[in-house]
Amino acid sequence: MNLRRLVLASSLLLPLVLAPASPAAEAPTDAASLVRQALDYWRGASSFAVITMTVHRPEWERSSRMRSWTRGQKDALVRFVEPAKDAGSATLKLGDDMWIFTPRVNRVIKLPFSMMAQSWMGSDFSYNDLAKSDELVTRFDCRITGTAREDGHTVYTIEATPKPEAPVIWGAERVRVRDDHLLLEETFIDQDGKAVKRLKAEEIGPLGGKLFVTRYRMERLDEPDHWTELIYRQARFGTDLPDALFTLSNLRNPRSQWEDK
Amino acid sequence: MRRTRALPRLGLVFRLARRNVVRNRRRTLVILAAISVGLWAMLFYAAFSRGWENDVVDHAIGTLTGHLQLHAPGYLDDPSVDHSMAPPDAALRRLLDGPRVAAWAGRVRVPAVVQSERETAGVTLVGIDPEAERGLSFIDGAVGEGRALTSVDERGIVLGRALAERLDTGLGKRVVLMSQAADHSVADRGFTVIGLFAADREATEMSFAFVGRRRAAEMLGLGGRLSEIAVRLGDRSRLAPMVAALRRAAPELDVEPWTALEPLSQAILSLAESWIWIFYLVMYVAMAFGLVNTLLMAVLERTRELGLLQALGMRPRLILGQVIAEAALVLAVGIAVGGALTAATLALLSGGIDVSGLAQGAELWGMSKVIRPALTLADVVSAVALVTVLGLAASLYPAFRAARRVPVEAITRG
Amino acid sequence: MTAGQVPPRPDGPTAAGSWSRGALTLRLTLRLAWRNLWRNGRRTAISLAAVAFATLILVFGVAMQEGGYGAMIASAVGVFTGELQVQVEGYRERPRLEETIGDASALEDRLARLPGVEAVAARAQAFALVSSPERSYGAQVEGVEPEHERRVSSLAGTLRSGRYLGAEDSDEAVIGRTLAKNLHLAVGDELTILGQGKDGSLAVAACTVVGVFSSGSPELDREMVEIPIGTFRRAFALGDEAHALVIRTRDLDALSAVRREVTAALAGRDHLVALDWSQIEPGLEQAIALDAAVGWFLYGVLVLVVGFSILNTFIMAVLERTRELGVLLALGARSGFVGRMLVAESLLLLVLGLAVGVALGVAVAAYFGAHGIAFSSSEELLAHWNLPARIHPRLDLRALTVGPLAVLAATAAAAVFPVLRVRRLRPVDAMRTI
Repeated sequence: MNLRRLVLASSLLLPLVLAPASPAAEAPTDAASLVRQALDYWRGASSFAVITMTVHRPEWERSSRMRSWTRGQKDALVRFVEPAKDAGSATLKLGDDMWIFTPRVNRVIKLPFSMMAQSWMGSDFSYNDLAKSDELVTRFDCRITGTAREDGHTVYTIEATPKPEAPVIWGAERVRVRDDHLLLEETFIDQDGKAVKRLKAEEIGPLGGKLFVTRYRMERLDEPDHWTELIYRQARFGTDLPDALFTLSNLRNPRSQWEDK
Repeated sequence: MRRTRALPRLGLVFRLARRNVVRNRRRTLVILAAISVGLWAMLFYAAFSRGWENDVVDHAIGTLTGHLQLHAPGYLDDPSVDHSMAPPDAALRRLLDGPRVAAWAGRVRVPAVVQSERETAGVTLVGIDPEAERGLSFIDGAVGEGRALTSVDERGIVLGRALAERLDTGLGKRVVLMSQAADHSVADRGFTVIGLFAADREATEMSFAFVGRRRAAEMLGLGGRLSEIAVRLGDRSRLAPMVAALRRAAPELDVEPWTALEPLSQAILSLAESWIWIFYLVMYVAMAFGLVNTLLMAVLERTRELGLLQALGMRPRLILGQVIAEAALVLAVGIAVGGALTAATLALLSGGIDVSGLAQGAELWGMSKVIRPALTLADVVSAVALVTVLGLAASLYPAFRAARRVPVEAITRG
Repeated sequence: MTAGQVPPRPDGPTAAGSWSRGALTLRLTLRLAWRNLWRNGRRTAISLAAVAFATLILVFGVAMQEGGYGAMIASAVGVFTGELQVQVEGYRERPRLEETIGDASALEDRLARLPGVEAVAARAQAFALVSSPERSYGAQVEGVEPEHERRVSSLAGTLRSGRYLGAEDSDEAVIGRTLAKNLHLAVGDELTILGQGKDGSLAVAACTVVGVFSSGSPELDREMVEIPIGTFRRAFALGDEAHALVIRTRDLDALSAVRREVTAALAGRDHLVALDWSQIEPGLEQAIALDAAVGWFLYGVLVLVVGFSILNTFIMAVLERTRELGVLLALGARSGFVGRMLVAESLLLLVLGLAVGVALGVAVAAYFGAHGIAFSSSEELLAHWNLPARIHPRLDLRALTVGPLAVLAATAAAAVFPVLRVRRLRPVDAMRTI
């Protein structure tokens, strides 16, 4: 049985789905299923992961550590544990709604849709990036535009354009997926055709029992030296997560018996 | 004693008056100057003020409000998707489609957020029926770039030019519109910008985003329901009876005239009106001094002649008439010249008075960037009537003085 | 020259003699002028009335303008803007959270000690989403120093319910009346603020509403939330920073002097500027300029029309006395003397008219200055224009001088005419006139 790896933050951010089933990569039939499989690879029935996020700017750099849990395609919880300043802050995604909790303010706040484009914890990811995980499948039309061989794998370049009326501000996204369902790169292109930011797989290695991208960097292409990195320290896939974990009351009052697993 | 008949007498009076007026050219010219300048100022100010008032009214009515509006109760306090109304029933439609209404349109109108690639901004989303808006609100004909919406089903969005600039978006690009649906879930949808509209005020360009009404209703889950109905009447003065009739036909709805919906505009209008009258009065008094004095002087210098005429048998009534006729002549010419000056000035300013350098200040007063002076017949008539009637009234005093002089004293006076 | 002849008399008068002769001439001129004026009492009276009328209108009008504009400015300045503000250059045009004044407290203390500065307060500002349990609205969040802010803005005194902010660090907020209504909030309810901090992170603050204000300005009532500056700084990741240092001076007259001091005090910190209220609220100054322009159009035309009216008087004054003037000239009076006499007549009339006009204008302006004039019955209009319910005309130097001077200038031009006429007079022809 394949361990379904799921690193919440990345899975929320990366619109790739990895097929939860067989280890043998299926022969690609079309771009959409390629993408769906990559997304499924990331998300599955459930997951737990520990991630370090580093935000880098020309003048400073900041690191924090978080723990994340996911359930299905729609629900996810991220809680920060380090540094002390951020510890306790958490974000809960339930369906289409997003809630945040800050211990400093000691309130659970529903993030209104007008704030979704805001940067998440000061990083180069926005809450939108977090929320619309399966966006690439549901709101874009995908097609394969290129194939290449790299490191013994076939890498597919896929161009995704938003469906008419899709609530997507990007002009297009360009995605590079490997035949073993790893997402190597996702470039966000604006409506003028200019690449604005790019998510890139920097390191690949074993994690939680399967091959995974252990380091991702989201880089701003319009502003040099602005990037955010996600490093996955550990992960567990397919574990049984209590439903109570994904509730507002837990968001506010983390129960150690659920969260310290 | 010679007796002359009425008509020739009148002719005599005017001939004498004309001779007197022409005889002292410099003096006549000076008082003419006073009257023409005075009248010109009155008319010019009235035109300017009406232009200003038109801006205020057009903005109030044209920027979506119309002459009156119907809403679900509660909408005016909380203009959100929660307070929607059913489309008009037969009774209401009878009134709305009736002869007194020039145009009416149903709209979906809720607060929303527009998001482009770089920026997010709060707007009022207005779902319209473009054909119904024709002749009703400013959006018909306001689209300068791209094209306007053509049907309720159209898939596209029209933004204000200033808003598009602020969002760093443009024609052909997509923006995401987000709002709260009727079931309180998040409603979001992508729209392609198909047109950009321009308005007199930047605030208007920043506030509204237009889409086809059915698209908006779909996105918000409203079905056939509306947020408001705006109505424009054929005759603005029939506002009150129409409001009453609509209230009777739809007692469950909120029917309000624009004067109640835009109290600020009303207040500015009454203020502007009172200022016109103050201006008129002040100008008139200033002119009156000159007129009275000039006539007095004219009478004084002809004391001997007037005395002689009286001695010869001319009735005091005719003397009176002569002086009044003089005044009338001078007033007539002065008014004519003043009118001509006004016409010339207004023709010169037909492009409007550009106050765009003071645009923010102008907005505070309710003016737009260019004030188009607009003279109404009523204003011309009232100014001319005021000057004529009161001018003639002012001439009564010198006229009476002229008629009262005892002939002997008059003749012997040096 | 031989001895015994009488030395010739000196050509002109001696120094001592010329003064007394000048004085005599002046008195004579004035007496003649006065007498001539009242020979035709009615005409003089009417001309006087015309001049007085114009002057009255101008004095009262300018006093109204000074009072009205003064009230508008005082309102804007006193409620929120202050006479001066120190900001980062460019912040006013494009307010961004990152453009802060560093070491704000030190600078604030320094500015407070400058002569002419009545009070200084630091403010940190951001546009953020303000939410109640039921609604969310975009609003301007101001982090203020409660004690200092009280002395700088009259907002604290316009609280309709509750109280103003207490400590600099508490989780309290005061909001505008309209915003409270839109958010369905009352004193004691809770408010959350969501925005973006200086480091890009989410700025979050949760405050209890302790007061609701009704400032008189619709914008402030609808869009503003004030929280203590300590709370603001914590939420938005700021240090000892501020976006504006608001300065109050004794009055607007002291403004330019204080501004120079402040600019000097900012030396060495080139990216900071001192702005006055008209730069912070250009719309207000523009609105005033527009209204003043319209006012001046009225005044200009009024003066012109009255000038024409007076001109005729002066013309007649000369023309009807052609014979008499001719006799005077024939009798040996210099044409200069005659000219001066006529000018004296004109000026006497004007001065008298001006005096009466000023007296009346002052009386009317003073009366209304005490009681005020209800400008408009519409509350919305008054609030929109930052005006109090009653405007009090203000009799300042401008009101007292500008009007009379304008009238004098226009009508004095008319007074030149008689002098020119006299120059051209030939005694013999003149005397033959009937």
